[in-house]
Amino acid sequence: MSISIKLTGGLHREMVTDLARPHPFAAERAGFAFGRVGSLSNESKVILLCLYHSIPDNQYVDDPTVGARIGSEAITWAMQAVYYGRPGREGIFHVHMHPHGGRTGMSGVDRRELPRLMPGFQAVGRDAAHGIIILSLDHGAGWVWLPGSKEPVAASTVSVIGKPLRVFEKGVGR
Amino acid sequence: MSRERFSRQSFLGRDSEERIARCTVGVAGLGGGGSHIIQQLAHIGFQRYVVYDGDVVEESNLNRLVGARSVDVPAQTPKLHIARMMIYGLQPNASVRGCAGRWQDNPEPLRECQIVFGCVDSYQGRHELEVACRRYLMHYIDIGMDVHGGAPPVIGGQVILSSAGSLCMRCMGFLTEAKLAEEAARYGGAGARPQVVWPNGVLASTAVGLAVDIVTNWTRRALPYAYLVYDGNQGTVKESATLRNLKITACPHFSNSDVGDPVLLEL
Repeated sequence: MSISIKLTGGLHREMVTDLARPHPFAAERAGFAFGRVGSLSNESKVILLCLYHSIPDNQYVDDPTVGARIGSEAITWAMQAVYYGRPGREGIFHVHMHPHGGRTGMSGVDRRELPRLMPGFQAVGRDAAHGIIILSLDHGAGWVWLPGSKEPVAASTVSVIGKPLRVFEKGVGR
Repeated sequence: MSRERFSRQSFLGRDSEERIARCTVGVAGLGGGGSHIIQQLAHIGFQRYVVYDGDVVEESNLNRLVGARSVDVPAQTPKLHIARMMIYGLQPNASVRGCAGRWQDNPEPLRECQIVFGCVDSYQGRHELEVACRRYLMHYIDIGMDVHGGAPPVIGGQVILSSAGSLCMRCMGFLTEAKLAEEAARYGGAGARPQVVWPNGVLASTAVGLAVDIVTNWTRRALPYAYLVYDGNQGTVKESATLRNLKITACPHFSNSDVGDPVLLEL
C-alpha cells in the first residue's frame, strides 16, 4: 500500500506564491490545502488536492522560537472547514514551505508540532484523509493520515500536474 | 542509462531524462494510434507505462499497427504483447502495467498516471476518459482520425490536450451533445472506420510532442489546452479555428473540487 499526492500546476503556483510572501513578523508562512482520496490498485491511495486557503496575517502568533506559529483562530477555521467538508470526505493538509532547493522534509519543530494537529482533524472529519505537505523551492513531500490511522504514511510521490509537469519522489532529488 | 543514448535530444533540458523517466504515462487503446504512441514514448525514454487493450492482432490491423507482423494474425497475439515487446525492446528496465481489456473495467491503475493518451474510437469513450482524467488529475491527450466523403475522400483528425483546471473538450467545441446523442443512437458504436498508418503517425507524433513539452517545458510556452486539427489531404496540422472564437476562459463543465472517488451525499 502506498500513497501519492497530486495537485494541479495552478494550485501549486497559488500555494508557492502565497507561502513565499513575507510576513510582518513570522519567518515563514503556512496554509491549508483541501483534498480528497482516490483509490488505486493494491489498496494504494492518491490524495487529490483541490483548494488552498491562505492564513491571514493576523492569525499568526508572534513566537520567535519557531518559523511560524498559527493561532487558535486559524485552527478553529480549519476545524470548521473540516466539519463542512465531511459530506464530501474532504480532508485538510497543513502546508508550508522551506526556502531552499532540492529535497525537503519535516524539521525537528515540524515533527514535534504538526502531527499534534491531526487527532483534532480526524475527530471532526473521521472519514477523510488529513496530513502535512512541505514544499521546497523545487521539490515537495507529504505525510498522510488515512481515516482511522494514528500513524502517517509518507507520500511516495507528489505530482504537480501542470506545465512543466513535476513528479517529486520520496528520497529522490538533490 | 548511457548519456550517449539521449545525446540528440539534450536540447530538451539538462534534467529532461530524469523528468521523462519519472512520469507515468497511460495509453488507452493500442491500435493504429496507440501503437505509434507507445513506440515514440519508448524511444524518448519513458519508463513507466499503464496500457489497456483487450484485442488480438487481426488481419485488418496489419495496415497500420506498428510492431505487428504477419505471424501475429494466426498466433492471435494480444496487442498488449506487441506494446510490451516494443517498450521492452527499447527500454528493458521499463515498468509496464498491461491491462487486457477496457480501462473502465479496471480503472485504478490508470489513476496512477500523470499523462493519459486516449486512442479510442467513440465520442463517449473520449468523454469517459476525460472525466476520469479530470477527477484523478491527469493531463488527457486525445487523438483520432476519420475519413469522410467520396470524391476525393477527406482525411481529418484531431489532437486535443485537456488539463485539469483548464478548458475541456466541450469548451473547445469538440465534444457536443449532438455528437454524443448521434453516436448513442447507433448504440454507441463508432463502426469500422477507415484507418491508415500515416495519419495515425502524424497524430501520434503531435500528441507525443505535446507530452514531451509538458514534461520538459522545452518550448517555455504556456500550454493550458490545445486543439490541433489535421487535414490529411493538405498534409497540415493547425490550431482549430474554434479556439480563435472561444468566448470562455474558464471551464464551466468541470469543477476543480470534483476530484477523487465519488461520494454519495446524504440528502
